[in-house]
Amino acid sequence: MGGRGALHSLPLFRLSSYIRCMELQEKITILSGAARYDASCASSGSNREGSAGGTGNTSQGGICHSWADDGRCISLLKILLSNDCRYDCAYCVNRSSNPVPRASFTAREVVDLTMEFYRRNYIEGLFLSSAVNVSPDHTMEAMVRVAEILRNEECFGGYIHLKIIPGSSPELVRRAGLVADRISVNIELPSSESLHRLAPQKKKEAILAPMKLIGAEAGVSLVERRKSRNAPRFAPAGQSTQMIIGASPETDLQILRLSQGLYRKMNLKRVYYSAFVPVNSDNRLPVLAAPPLLREHRLYQADWLLRFYGFSPEEILSDDAPNLDESFDPKTAWALRHPEFFPVEVNRASYATLLRVPGIGVVSAKRIIAARRFAPVTHEGMKKIGVVMKRAKYFITCSGRPFDKLDQQPARLRQSLLIGDGSEPKVPRQLVLPGMG
Amino acid sequence: MNHYLYDGTPEGLVSAIASILDSGDDPEQTVLAVQQNTLFEEGMLLRTDSALAEALFERLRLRAPDAVQTLWYFTMAETTELETSLLRYIALAFEHGDRVNGYLTHASVKAVVATARKAGRELHRMKGLLRFEQLRDGTWLARMEPDCNVIQPLARHFSRRLRAQEWFIYDAGRHSAAHWDGHALSFGTLEQFSRPELSAEEEAVQQLWQTFFKTIAIPERKNPRLQKSNMPAKYWKYLTEKQGE
Repeated sequence: MGGRGALHSLPLFRLSSYIRCMELQEKITILSGAARYDASCASSGSNREGSAGGTGNTSQGGICHSWADDGRCISLLKILLSNDCRYDCAYCVNRSSNPVPRASFTAREVVDLTMEFYRRNYIEGLFLSSAVNVSPDHTMEAMVRVAEILRNEECFGGYIHLKIIPGSSPELVRRAGLVADRISVNIELPSSESLHRLAPQKKKEAILAPMKLIGAEAGVSLVERRKSRNAPRFAPAGQSTQMIIGASPETDLQILRLSQGLYRKMNLKRVYYSAFVPVNSDNRLPVLAAPPLLREHRLYQADWLLRFYGFSPEEILSDDAPNLDESFDPKTAWALRHPEFFPVEVNRASYATLLRVPGIGVVSAKRIIAARRFAPVTHEGMKKIGVVMKRAKYFITCSGRPFDKLDQQPARLRQSLLIGDGSEPKVPRQLVLPGMG
Repeated sequence: MNHYLYDGTPEGLVSAIASILDSGDDPEQTVLAVQQNTLFEEGMLLRTDSALAEALFERLRLRAPDAVQTLWYFTMAETTELETSLLRYIALAFEHGDRVNGYLTHASVKAVVATARKAGRELHRMKGLLRFEQLRDGTWLARMEPDCNVIQPLARHFSRRLRAQEWFIYDAGRHSAAHWDGHALSFGTLEQFSRPELSAEEEAVQQLWQTFFKTIAIPERKNPRLQKSNMPAKYWKYLTEKQGE
């Protein structure tokens, strides 16, 4: 605590021997390998000034520190406290019946790793999850203690994301919320039937109860902080959740409805979708040639439409067509079903209308509105603004003028959007995770 | 077209822009460039006047604070050949105030804002990609070679974040350095640089990080193209996790 000199001691390595390090290497291999299937890596949404004698602060927009070989951003030391699990969930690499090597960190090891990595600017902070061994409370207590040591003994001001173990007591959830920036309970699967089938030891109620509690506590903290600046913050970066896609039979429509409910009723900041990677063989699981990455990508796009573009799940999908189109992003697919909405005149359309045009995103819609105050926006101007014209050109006019002479026959339009204007065929498998923001 | 020249210094540029704006010439009909002293060079050389440059900054700060911010990032990019765009951008900033940054359909605004954004993007990137190493004497050193001259705002970021350790940031391309002594920041240049000895523990921690970096990727999702587009290879030279690739 206070009074620390400029030069930090290195408790981890002062006693260290070569053997100690090998042991840590092994633990990291096991416990980060076991944590990598968690999609969340965001370090955004929190804004904490560092304390005078301490190390670390957080940045509202979040910072990525590296990108792993799978292209996903690394922002946090994402790690399990232990992978020694008494549960036997079909989809999980750490299930008790899996013959994988088991390891557990001590609290001090995780604290020291976090501090050593943070001082070298490898990370924004810590993402801590764990397998459940003795009981949910036993594990949750150990995880909360790591975060409390970081905050209180190391004066750590960086980002902390704590996973909440389903079935933990409300008292531990509260303690977690007071030291973490973000807390999350994984919903795991998109329906209670699938949960029952694939994770029979996890109960829907045990997942939803802490979610509700977190939402309520966060609300109380906001009210308190309005009265007094010194009232404690509760998980200032909010709560998120994650579900596995493709291990169970739910449709995309069911999934989007669930997400919409979570955003509206539970006040979640983010829902993460994780393409099912078959790590076990189990006859309750589907056999997949590869993880459904494209489906995961489309779900993220649709999730964006729900949160930032004013779409409802029913506009994106219907009971007749309950799954997202693989060839088109969900907004283009919507546009193709609604020719009556187009063309949109970019120099008059409202913000909400501009957002419906394929190729125009939140940023470019705002830029169009700012630019047209100076002069009408032309096709050339749309390019300068950063609109993706190879998609947008089929759906807009600029001061009444369409782009070239466009054939807007629906069948022809589909074709042009798929292959571009006759040149090279467009590869639809463009797999970028928009979920890391 | 009116043609003007200046001496190539940042101060000369702002001072030249100030005198053109005062002259009453239409900026849209004016071209400004660095004096090359070639035989057939066209245009009148504007003398550098630091008082004039200072006064322009002050006026712009009052009229369009966001544009001053843009100008600051623009200079970090150390671009040459955009003097004329900058002249027209500043003229528009005086005319429209901070709304000017929304006039992206104007070629000069677009060029200046895009250049400023490039510097802003790299600054943000370096906040994540900079790597500190512990030296034998217990201080910390981070080396980098960014395209833009981001060392000042970058050092300010780390002075709030890693305030409990003494560190240096060294821009190897520009031979410039920042130093945080635990209380205050200072900046300077280093003509001679050799990398000091690392602390005894440093290599062990670096190995732990390399192990983490390897195992955190999901093998079934391997995607080197996406990795490269998010983290261009030009930054790998100083990345602990990319050594030996």
